[in-house]
Amino acid sequence: MSNSTELERRIAEILIRETRLEDVTAATFDPEVDLVEEVGLDSMDLTTVVLMLQDEFKIQIPEDEYPKLTTVRKIAGYVQAKLRP
Amino acid sequence: MHASAAQRTDRPGEASATFGDLLAEPAVLERWDRVRRWFFLRESTYDMTRRCNIRCEGCYFYQGDKQHAEDCVDPAAWRALMRAEKERGITFAVLAGAEPALVPELLRVCGESIPLGAIATNGLRPIPADVPYRIHISVWGNDDTSERLRAAKRMLDRQCDVYAGDDRAVFVYTFTRENCAESAEVVARLARRGCRVTFNVFSSPVGYDGPCRHDAASLAETRRMMLRLLGEYPETVLFSAYSAVAHTHSLGLHDLFGCSYPRRNPSTTLGLGRSFRQYRSNLAFDRSAACCVPDTDCADCRHYASGSAIVTARLHRHAADAATFRAWLDYVNVYLAVWVRGYEPFSPLLGEPTAPPGQELF
Repeated sequence: MSNSTELERRIAEILIRETRLEDVTAATFDPEVDLVEEVGLDSMDLTTVVLMLQDEFKIQIPEDEYPKLTTVRKIAGYVQAKLRP
Repeated sequence: MHASAAQRTDRPGEASATFGDLLAEPAVLERWDRVRRWFFLRESTYDMTRRCNIRCEGCYFYQGDKQHAEDCVDPAAWRALMRAEKERGITFAVLAGAEPALVPELLRVCGESIPLGAIATNGLRPIPADVPYRIHISVWGNDDTSERLRAAKRMLDRQCDVYAGDDRAVFVYTFTRENCAESAEVVARLARRGCRVTFNVFSSPVGYDGPCRHDAASLAETRRMMLRLLGEYPETVLFSAYSAVAHTHSLGLHDLFGCSYPRRNPSTTLGLGRSFRQYRSNLAFDRSAACCVPDTDCADCRHYASGSAIVTARLHRHAADAATFRAWLDYVNVYLAVWVRGYEPFSPLLGEPTAPPGQELF
């Protein structure tokens, strides 16, 4: 399992809460695990998470960007880029 | 943790409700929590047989190639398919064409493997009580119209005789260009028999230019009638004001929302584009032809089945403001009530039509 950054852990917290994942915590969530193929999330789950991330970080994430958001690490990179001044 | 009603950084100057704002009202949050429990539903559809006991004007099954597939009648092969489907994540089976009631043993096999599902039938033959799925019974007008379009006599009475009192049953009234006025009589009869009904909008098969095809006037008339019947028969009609808008808009569902079925969606990363398959009665599937009602003219598609998936999947764009999000919740509530046994619908949030995101009301 890869080490997580603080941002990744915050994203993992939101993801775990919104998709009601069991048997995992933000601290133990592998940021490189594939959310669709390995965790089993689908578009509605991901939409819910994205809407919450938009609120959390006060950014916009267009629908057509969803396919890029396949791991917590990729989401964190995406969020970081959006937050960059 | 939700942000308050803040402006988002990349839309300076534009006030926008956050998702947290949209969920702040308890009545909305309660409904959101109710519908999101069903986000695990992942559908595929299955043609059960190429046989049917009647022939209907504009029937989708008898368009294109699928009618020529040889029927697989082996329950073991169907059981193996359903197990494989479950294995790849399918949680909802839609059993259709041509007439599933003709193969009850295969319906049982499907229900044993995937417990949630729905069956599209003409309703003239009973489906055994141990098949656990929702049953959608197609109605195309009053008895005179049904006899003309479907060559079946006393159709509504016979359908009610089979399915009145069956908690699996939802009648589906398909509005065509010609049958709008008679829907009032049909819904009244269904209400008297204690049946529930939802609405569909005829969507032309590719190349069809017959009398059922809608025009602008018939779509507007259909919307007015849907809203009227929804108001007059709230216990009988499973529909919402936004459902009426979405399905009678001058733009079809694909142009309004972007169809997410594989036939119109090349992406295989998420959602229907990733998981949906439409199996023919020989258990083969073709991704390039896969949608809920194959051989429909996509530009004219206003099917209740496609809307149920397409509108629901567009949560993101409906989470824009309070009215649009509430309209979406009402729509999803209807979709779940119509398709999923065990779902308890809530009272609608909105009584008036709402325009789709970024569109006019018509």
